[in-house]
Amino acid sequence: MRRLAILACVMVAATPIVHAAEAPPGASACSGCHAPRGGASGGIPPIAAKSADEITATMLAYQAGEGEPTVMNRIAKGFTEPEIRAIAAWLVAGR
Amino acid sequence: MARTLINVPATAKRGEVVEIKALISHPMETGFRTGSDGALIPRDIIHRFACTYNGEEVFSADLFPAITANPFITFTTVAEESGEIALSWTDDQGNTQTETAKITVGQDPVE
Amino acid sequence: MTPWNPNRRAVLKTLTAATVTVTASAALSRPVHAQGAARVVVIGGGFAGGTAARFLKGHGLDVTLVEPNPTYTACPLSNSVVAGLRSLDRQTFGYDGLRRAGVTVVHQRASKVDAEARRVTLGDGVALDYDRLVLAPGIDMNFGALPGYDDKAAEIMPHAWKAGPQTTLLARQLEAMEDGGVVVMSVPANPYRCPPGPYERASLIAHYLKTRKPRSKLIVLDAKDSFSKQRLFQAAWEKLYPGLLEWVSLSSGGQVTSVDPASLTLVTDFDRVKAAVANVIPPQKAASIAALAEVADRTGWCPIDPVTFESRLRPGIHVIGDAAIAGAMPKSAFAANAQAKVCAAAVATLLRGEKPAAPKLINTCYSLVAPDYGISVAGVYAPSDGRLADVEGAGGTSPLDAPASFRAKEAVYAESWFDTITAEVFG
Repeated sequence: MRRLAILACVMVAATPIVHAAEAPPGASACSGCHAPRGGASGGIPPIAAKSADEITATMLAYQAGEGEPTVMNRIAKGFTEPEIRAIAAWLVAGR
Repeated sequence: MARTLINVPATAKRGEVVEIKALISHPMETGFRTGSDGALIPRDIIHRFACTYNGEEVFSADLFPAITANPFITFTTVAEESGEIALSWTDDQGNTQTETAKITVGQDPVE
Repeated sequence: MTPWNPNRRAVLKTLTAATVTVTASAALSRPVHAQGAARVVVIGGGFAGGTAARFLKGHGLDVTLVEPNPTYTACPLSNSVVAGLRSLDRQTFGYDGLRRAGVTVVHQRASKVDAEARRVTLGDGVALDYDRLVLAPGIDMNFGALPGYDDKAAEIMPHAWKAGPQTTLLARQLEAMEDGGVVVMSVPANPYRCPPGPYERASLIAHYLKTRKPRSKLIVLDAKDSFSKQRLFQAAWEKLYPGLLEWVSLSSGGQVTSVDPASLTLVTDFDRVKAAVANVIPPQKAASIAALAEVADRTGWCPIDPVTFESRLRPGIHVIGDAAIAGAMPKSAFAANAQAKVCAAAVATLLRGEKPAAPKLINTCYSLVAPDYGISVAGVYAPSDGRLADVEGAGGTSPLDAPASFRAKEAVYAESWFDTITAEVFG
């Protein structure tokens, strides 16, 4: 059932209005740090060009204590894998 | 011993109501908490506070586990004569810590 | 309240999503229908209000932002301005970006809120009717809570807890102080805007003294025994500012009970401390419009529903940002921005007659201990038992044993975050 709901989000995402309305839990906070386009070099790593699979894999790795995050490991631990997948799909669909 | 802060006015008029403040650094361990090993942390609180003025008790308080850590106590007394004010705290181990302060009371009575 | 069945909801959502899309975009693309869009008034144009206005507009609503000031001066990084490391211009933002996004911006003070009639009255007498109201007014200094301290005293002993002229005043006082002077800060009990903010400020003032006036000293009088990122701050102070910064906790008699601006003296229960420069951060409360709208409770802050941010006291009014009692979420710009997005989505959902889903919120807050030494605290929050609670196992501070490269990175990220979030809100 959750799958269906996510699918619906992805389908309507071309319209930014509803895209925002259907943000899965936690997703709308990402843009507070990660600029939708580009991102300052040397600053917070940009995610605008990353695929949903890359975003998901990175978050799951951080959750597992891998990689070299500063703060994202602490944030990733607040989400389940399906939640992370939903956020990643939504971020990519909103571009 | 534990760190204390006291505030007793250095001077007062005869008959003046003076405020006395006392703060002691103490964990006031309730005896109801468990430590990281799951065992109860033994109770360790200050259970009695008293103030004497030239040897005569003018204020006292019984403290209980619900009282905060680092208890701050404030009360008033009437300045009758120059002399010594002694504040004492007694903990569950039976240790008593006393701090004293001099107060000089003027001859002119308070209006 | 009847229990909500998530599965059933998901089905409904799937079935109706397409219909909603069509309706919403039609309303936007055809101006003749635009007047039918629900009206939302947002009071306050800071991180919370600015974000809410932009995202409410994004949801296709008719949005009016009420903000008395023509520009906004941001607090995050303003401690660097105090310490002479940054210009106040870089903290200042206009509202043209929000106008370009389609938000109607009105530079008036809201003077009255009638929750029954769903109407806001502005200082110039104009009335704005709303379907839903979002209050994001920020804080006011609670002058009544600290004897001796008021608007006039703040001109002598600045709080600098609202960025702007107060920030400049404190910076100038530090600049004018002779080497060897004693700077005294007073820090209030919780809750207040930006929990680690006073300690970042203490750090950067200490940095200023160390580099410019090394014979001086900073005393921090605190009404608390513990504070945000405490171990990180204290470890850094020991390393960077030994003997220069003295923190006096509540149980060491640190609580300031009154101030005397005439003699630049801060009074505690056990001492009187004379300052060359005094920075008094007083207790705070939700800004006055919250009390006027009757959404503030006896604490001075605004209780809210953790899913929609709707006031617990007045239906139809949502409260976000520093003014709200957001459970475990701190009063920070990041939190305000995250709350505003969740609130905007909830308002749009409610206006469609649907029930908003439980959100998750994030906070990340950077503090600078020195220009190249940043530390952070993060949290993830979800509604639980009617309040926003920490998601267990998530969040926390930067590691205590991190190398200098990690601290340097977080200092860079602090500025990077500021640039991104201000672009999102005001750009």
